[in-house]
Amino acid sequence: MGLVKRQESGQGAPERERRRHGRAPEDLVRQLADPDPAVRRWAARDLAAHPGAADALADALEGERDPAVRQALLDALAAIGGEAVAERLIPLLRSEDAGLRNGVIEVLQGMPEAVAPRMARLLEDEDPDVRIFAVDICRSLPHPDTPRWLAGLLGRERHVNVVGTAIDVLAEIGGPEELPALRAVAERFADEPFVAFSAKVAIRRIEEGRA
Amino acid sequence: MARIMIVDDAATVRMYHRELVEALGHQVVEAENGIEALEKALGATWDLFLVDVNMPKMDGYRLVREMRSGEDLREVPVVMVSTEAKARDKEQAWAAGANHYLVKPVRPEALQAVVRALAGEAGA
Amino acid sequence: MSAGATETRACAQPAISDADFERFRDFFYRKTGIYFEDSKRYFVDKRLLERMRATGHDSFRSYFTFMRFQASGEELQRLIDLMTVNETYFFREDYQFRCLVGPVLDEVLERKRPGDPVRIWSIPCSTGEEPYSIAIWLLEHWPPIERVDVEILASDIDTQALARAREGVYGRRSVQRLPKALLTKYFEPLPDGRWRIVRELREAVDFRRVNLSDPADTRPYRRIDVIFCRNLLIYFDDASRRQAAEVFYDALNPGGFVFLGHSESMSRISSLFRVRRFEEAVAYQKPV
Repeated sequence: MGLVKRQESGQGAPERERRRHGRAPEDLVRQLADPDPAVRRWAARDLAAHPGAADALADALEGERDPAVRQALLDALAAIGGEAVAERLIPLLRSEDAGLRNGVIEVLQGMPEAVAPRMARLLEDEDPDVRIFAVDICRSLPHPDTPRWLAGLLGRERHVNVVGTAIDVLAEIGGPEELPALRAVAERFADEPFVAFSAKVAIRRIEEGRA
Repeated sequence: MARIMIVDDAATVRMYHRELVEALGHQVVEAENGIEALEKALGATWDLFLVDVNMPKMDGYRLVREMRSGEDLREVPVVMVSTEAKARDKEQAWAAGANHYLVKPVRPEALQAVVRALAGEAGA
Repeated sequence: MSAGATETRACAQPAISDADFERFRDFFYRKTGIYFEDSKRYFVDKRLLERMRATGHDSFRSYFTFMRFQASGEELQRLIDLMTVNETYFFREDYQFRCLVGPVLDEVLERKRPGDPVRIWSIPCSTGEEPYSIAIWLLEHWPPIERVDVEILASDIDTQALARAREGVYGRRSVQRLPKALLTKYFEPLPDGRWRIVRELREAVDFRRVNLSDPADTRPYRRIDVIFCRNLLIYFDDASRRQAAEVFYDALNPGGFVFLGHSESMSRISSLFRVRRFEEAVAYQKPV
């Protein structure tokens, strides 16, 4: 038979791994700038265990182009978590790189405690794109206040795409408390077919839901 | 009847676009992001993709680049449908290989006109 | 249905309205990639009502809010478990094994130097049906096994399941999809009507306990060619899914493949892999 049992040790890769394991964080931070993506990726993976490396990881994230290294940096930052990481990630919502922005949104969705106190500011950002991304964060943020934040936004928002995105999220998570805001915004944007359509869906789903 | 893929992470946007496209007599398949679109699309025949830009896991630009670099979906026309109206966004869409760019919210007539132009109309 | 009739029924017992069903369907689809057609309505309602009762919620709305905002994600996990069929038996989802011995291993071999072994990792292997199925499938349907060494690594977090896997004793239900000829070739009948997998196979599979979220456990898994990870990641929260995908990425050789369960989609897990559609199945490939 050609089935063989794994050789116990002896192989090169695990040996190298073992040497890397426990490497000092200063070495790992330096390796975030290594020309070899594999080295950068391993450094990022190992730095997930060092909360003090959050700034170095965020610095590296800004310039990183390799998707696999970028994902390792994002996941390391997600593992570290906390206020400082949220502060570093939020400015990246302004990046021109859609892949980076969406990666940042995913990580922020996983940190409700750190994101909640910053959400009001984000939903009032002067850039409508950033407001849309803030609403996207709310889509999957496990925080009970998200429907209320979005209803508040609908009350003042002028940009049609921010409104459309917020209605879409409320179609899934909104309750009867959000109905007045949905009705008002539908009226205010009555000449926008998409807003009228999505508000109708959201209102129907809430009204016909069983209380 | 054409087969059209609608890729968008917002459920109400998918519903809205689906209604407009089905009104022309076409068949619609939906996907929530670029990876799901590839899972469903590879190996089958398509007449048109309507693709959002900002989506989790795989954004619209990357989806179009993947389509253009593979065999199966290289020739399928793609309309990017984005909330972003800046010149750099359109440039990114052309660079990725999109055929047309619409800014959200899409007027029903505008979307249907593009679908007619790129995928025709059932029975027409 | 008239509004009056709706209300009468709502008073009698909690029910799921059309609107509730649609909301749940959108949410569940976004989280898992599984989309329930209207024809699944009865199946979905029944399970939702079951969980509402179990968690003490008398309306869909309060249950849905509770589940959505629960930070641990435990209730969602319960619900996924109920909404998906999760059994393990020999030759389950064998279209993936057909894909393995066809185009997938062909590509893997193209990148191998002569003498290099092919490594296949089954995680979670549960009580062993999957790794043993892979072994049998290779011996039966993959002629290159005459000249190529294959290592099958099998791991699970559950040590009791692993002990049963090593023992290799199965009831009739587990083996019912196996053709008779294979059953008699690779199993020994036991006096109590059960079947035990032959010693050569038991000894050929490397069973070990692995916790996917512990780097010390996963670190030794390197230079793997194909990973079978079916019906596990769908139960993980978003961050744990991404982390598991990172582990697979690092474990695989460039060009190596991942197979997920039939109701799972990489679109809800990670963007690290390329989608590959073969005639038999979809697989996910680490870029070369």
